[in-house]
Amino acid sequence: MRRIRKIIVVLILTFLNVLFLKPGYFLGAQAETKSRIFEPRSFEEIISFCQSLASQNAKLARIIEIGQSYGGRKIIILELAAKENTSAPMPEERPAVLVSANLEGLHFLGTEAACRLARKLIEEYGKDKIITDILNRRTIYIAPILNPDAYTRWFGRFRSERMTNSRPVDEDNDGLIDEDGPEDLNGDGYITLMRVKDPEGNYLADPREPRLLRLADPKKGEKGIYKIYSEGLDNDGDGEINEDPPGGVDINRNFPHDFEYFVKTCGLFPGSESETMALLQFMAEHKNIALILNFSSENTFLNLQQTGQARAGAERVRVPRMYASMLGLDPDQEYTLKEIVEAIKSSGFIGGMEISEEMVASFLGLGPAVTLDRQDLPVFEAIQKEYKERLNKASLDYPEKRAKPVQKGSFVAYGYYQFGVPSFSTDLWTVPEPKKPGEKEVLTPEKLKAMSPNEFVSLGEEKIAAFLKAQGAPAGLSATSLIEMVKSGKLTPARMAEMLEKMPARSIPSDEEHPEAYLLTWSDTALQGKGFVNWTIFKHPSLGEVEIGGFVPGLRLLPPIDLAEKAIDFHVDWYLELMSRVAEIQIQEIKANKLSEGVYEINVFLTNPAWLPTSTAQGRRAMTSWPIRVKLNLNKDQELFSGEPVAIIPFINGSGEVKKVTWTVKAKKGSQISVEASSPKLGKVSRSIILP
Amino acid sequence: MKKLKIIFSCVFIYLGSCLISYSQPRSEIKLSFDHFYNHAELTQALQALAKAYPEFMTLKSIGKSYMGKEIWGVILNNSKTGPAEHKPGYYIDGNIHGNEIQGTEVALYAIWWLLSNYGRNELATRLLDERVFYLVPTVNPDSRDVYINQVSDPDSPRSGLKPYDDDRDGLADEDGPEDLDGDGSITMMRKKVPLGTGTHRLHPDDPRILIRIKPGEKGDYLLLGEEGIDNDGDGLINEDGPGGYDLNRNFGFNWQPEYVQRGAGDYPFCFPETAALRDFILAHPNIAGAQSFHNYGGMILRGPGARNMGEYLPADRQVYDYVGKNGEKILPGYRYIVVYKDMYTVYGGTIDFIYNVLGAFTFSNELDQDPLEAQRTRQPREEESPDIRAMLGQIGRLEEMEYHDLVLLGEHFSPWKAYRHPLFGEIEIGGVKKFGRRVPPTFRLAETCHRNAAFCFYHADQLPRLEIARTEIKKISGHLYQLDLSVANSRVTPSISAVAIQNKLHRPDEVRLEGKKVKIVAAGYLVDEFRQLTRPIKVRQNRLLIENGVPGFGRVNLRLLIEAEGQADLIYDSLKGGLKRKTLSFD
Repeated sequence: MRRIRKIIVVLILTFLNVLFLKPGYFLGAQAETKSRIFEPRSFEEIISFCQSLASQNAKLARIIEIGQSYGGRKIIILELAAKENTSAPMPEERPAVLVSANLEGLHFLGTEAACRLARKLIEEYGKDKIITDILNRRTIYIAPILNPDAYTRWFGRFRSERMTNSRPVDEDNDGLIDEDGPEDLNGDGYITLMRVKDPEGNYLADPREPRLLRLADPKKGEKGIYKIYSEGLDNDGDGEINEDPPGGVDINRNFPHDFEYFVKTCGLFPGSESETMALLQFMAEHKNIALILNFSSENTFLNLQQTGQARAGAERVRVPRMYASMLGLDPDQEYTLKEIVEAIKSSGFIGGMEISEEMVASFLGLGPAVTLDRQDLPVFEAIQKEYKERLNKASLDYPEKRAKPVQKGSFVAYGYYQFGVPSFSTDLWTVPEPKKPGEKEVLTPEKLKAMSPNEFVSLGEEKIAAFLKAQGAPAGLSATSLIEMVKSGKLTPARMAEMLEKMPARSIPSDEEHPEAYLLTWSDTALQGKGFVNWTIFKHPSLGEVEIGGFVPGLRLLPPIDLAEKAIDFHVDWYLELMSRVAEIQIQEIKANKLSEGVYEINVFLTNPAWLPTSTAQGRRAMTSWPIRVKLNLNKDQELFSGEPVAIIPFINGSGEVKKVTWTVKAKKGSQISVEASSPKLGKVSRSIILP
Repeated sequence: MKKLKIIFSCVFIYLGSCLISYSQPRSEIKLSFDHFYNHAELTQALQALAKAYPEFMTLKSIGKSYMGKEIWGVILNNSKTGPAEHKPGYYIDGNIHGNEIQGTEVALYAIWWLLSNYGRNELATRLLDERVFYLVPTVNPDSRDVYINQVSDPDSPRSGLKPYDDDRDGLADEDGPEDLDGDGSITMMRKKVPLGTGTHRLHPDDPRILIRIKPGEKGDYLLLGEEGIDNDGDGLINEDGPGGYDLNRNFGFNWQPEYVQRGAGDYPFCFPETAALRDFILAHPNIAGAQSFHNYGGMILRGPGARNMGEYLPADRQVYDYVGKNGEKILPGYRYIVVYKDMYTVYGGTIDFIYNVLGAFTFSNELDQDPLEAQRTRQPREEESPDIRAMLGQIGRLEEMEYHDLVLLGEHFSPWKAYRHPLFGEIEIGGVKKFGRRVPPTFRLAETCHRNAAFCFYHADQLPRLEIARTEIKKISGHLYQLDLSVANSRVTPSISAVAIQNKLHRPDEVRLEGKKVKIVAAGYLVDEFRQLTRPIKVRQNRLLIENGVPGFGRVNLRLLIEAEGQADLIYDSLKGGLKRKTLSFD
């Protein structure tokens, strides 16, 4: 009897479970298989998920098809906005947020997060106050897959990390197109590497981790053994392997900010691809977009580094006199940046530090046209700080040093520098740093920055000494003296961190850990070794005996389900939080001050109660963020005495900053004066007053 | 005797008629070149030409303008001498700036001249047999028609007609100029004010001219700008007219956003006109030379348009210089100069795009000089400045008024007349009318057309002209042969430009052997014939890639080892230099 009851309970539970399974809620359903790796849904599944979301919630959502990929796959955007029970204008006239995902094609977590975000907005509408408010007053555009060709390729015969669309490109410029792609020779479903013993080989097995290969260092007396190829055949008999694979152009390098010309995977020119053009056109037609939240391999919350580029016109420059003499250059002569880099290197001032043309351009004040504007920086930094705090609080393990900065020609950079709105991107997850047994918590310059002097002193001499050694500090600088300096207030930990960051980078000794060792550790510990294909012998038709092996494609992209779940939930909430911070304008008050009979001074107080400013400084520079137009509407008996008929307010900072507009008018007592404030990214507000 | 006389005169008449028919083109289509064609007239002319010369001319729409007008693309090719993609292509466009209309007439003239002279003029015949021409006579039909058919001024509409928020107030095209005095042109407004409150005064010798006062002088006139009213009540007049962008800043090479380059548009190729050109140009990668007509100032321009990406490569500059310098002889008064260095900075222009993406040598002629500047002797030292000044439009010159009165016979100047303006009250309206500047007077249009078309023909003739100059077969043993092969180029343009070689813009040239029993065993560049030195070339399934092509006025010498029997076809296949074929016999 008890057994029967038990069976019934299980049956009911199963039934309930099935009942509550909503479309796309598969991640939660699979939570019990904890160690399984996150499996992306197919392109078709994502599209039909979005379509059913829209068709089942027609009052909140609709699908906009913005274009097609080179391969003819549709690119969709979900438009979410409450259209009933709200006084807000049509969706395209409300301040909007664009959530863009997977321009890189293989950022599956981003696609999943975008879908979850859409579903949460819809499901919580009418229940959650913030979400209800967002959809009542804003429009949210969600693009789950912006590079469908690469996305779909992943589900093909074998897996590789190729992120391009399907456009045929003659990579090796031999007149034949896409004629030599990879083959899954060992039939394991992955394109990995082939290593082959070759007299000209310059790779050898890493002494600590023989599964990994490293370049031989002739200065250490090392001689290479292997040549490395990617897995495949020489299909066109030109002696090269996989030199012209199918596809294409990397969509996230094809945008017009700091585009790299003459690089085939970036495209022939910015916007050369239909995927890029579809998104650019959508944005040009939706100038109400006031915030961009992107999912890609870039993490701009943790890494504020920009692409860097010598400013237009800085082909040849003069070097200021004081530096010129140091570098042995003529201050009256013009040099190319390359020449200056050479001069700096040969001067020996910077030791072994790597130095680039961008650094020189930035140093000489030629200004990369590509740094976050100084006025916008506090906003970005505040968000960065908060993001880190939230990561910590959620105890998400994200190794900051692996956060990728924006890339040249990337969408998120276009969003900030040209479209002119705050733009952020997150990769959601990256392979965590292995915890080494017995290792104490290590001090880093990053941690140092956030420390108070007391915290620093309390670390103790031993830890600080270890830190100094690791940073390659000069022998004269002891932990004792440093502690004294901090105690006496001569030096703060933050200042110290700054100094350390400016020090030349140390060269990495060859007995140091292989840069990819952490991936192997990850595969071995968290994935039961499934992240690495062990080297096995294969008889290759043109290379002879080779070994096939290496990291599994997607290792860095696909976490175990429980970690994926956690990272997505965290970032969905984070993006919801940022969405609620989009700027808005309010006419806080109109004051009419009677100067004489029939003459009034009108003061209008405008405010932005939201957190973000009404525009970015870069948007104002780029003229893609509009100022606020404040218009005084007078009837025919009223007359303007002083002030502009339309006053222009460039911007209002967030958190309630107030800006005032003053007019003097001739008008009758008891008559009404109305004021209207508007801007394409902020909408329109109006208010009126009866003259006392 | 009388009979003889009649016969004699008959012969004379016959000879005379022969002479007449050989001294003028036997044109199937009569077109006049003292006339500016609006879009409907242009369409008619092109359709008539296409109908009259179906064996040479293809007319097709390459896209629609913002207002829905057809953008016409013309392809001229003699298909009897081979398909278009096997010949070097020459591209011409005109009128991308709506007010710079005469480029269209030049392109139309070029089409007409080539077609009506085929078979009687050696150059026309050669060009149509050996080259293929791609022409877009007007890129901007919308603004062309506004300029010609509606009210406008000499400088506008330059843009296309897609509404554009010039003053960034969130509204587009809400306050353009009006033809208040109804003379068909937008001219200027001026107002007489009490002495001491004005910024200008009248020219003592010609009261039609306003002069800005110098410090200390007293003015009694205000110059109020172009004709118009404050349509949107923001206190400003004509601050946001039709369009407001620049199609010739919207191309996808070295494109910079609006705040760096005014008029750039939201992103490259965001306008239907530029997108249509992009697709047309990219569909014809055999284009090896190009011309994009503008006005004015009398210039033969080459890129780069901006300094930031560096000068063109030296080898390519030599080609440009050769053609450009010879162009100065065809176009007296025109100067061959460089956009970024001698004029101003242009990011995202047509000519940089065609050169850097297609690897084709591209010029832009600024058609027609200021008629007054053309009369003056040029100052050798400040070579650029007079034209630049003239181009920016100096108003108020006595000579200009004389020219208007005595040469143009008053046709293009609107005398100042009184008008009651809703805001300014009593004002005067007048000034130079739309055809009064930048376009040639119609009596000079034919010369503009002919000389500039002649320059294009010269450039088209200077595209690579390849010839399999030498094939020397030597039997080694059995079926093994040694083939010494030379491909010569009798023109200045190389079969691959340096920019294309450096950046791998397109495939290299290719040597192929096609036949039932033929196989290339090994191959090399014949570096030194006397010492028998060769530099090896990789053989790819009976193909050789000639990475650097055939240089201008030069040749490439190859030595091949071949296994062959019977006959085989030797093919030299160059994307920009055409395809040449020769049958070889091995016995």
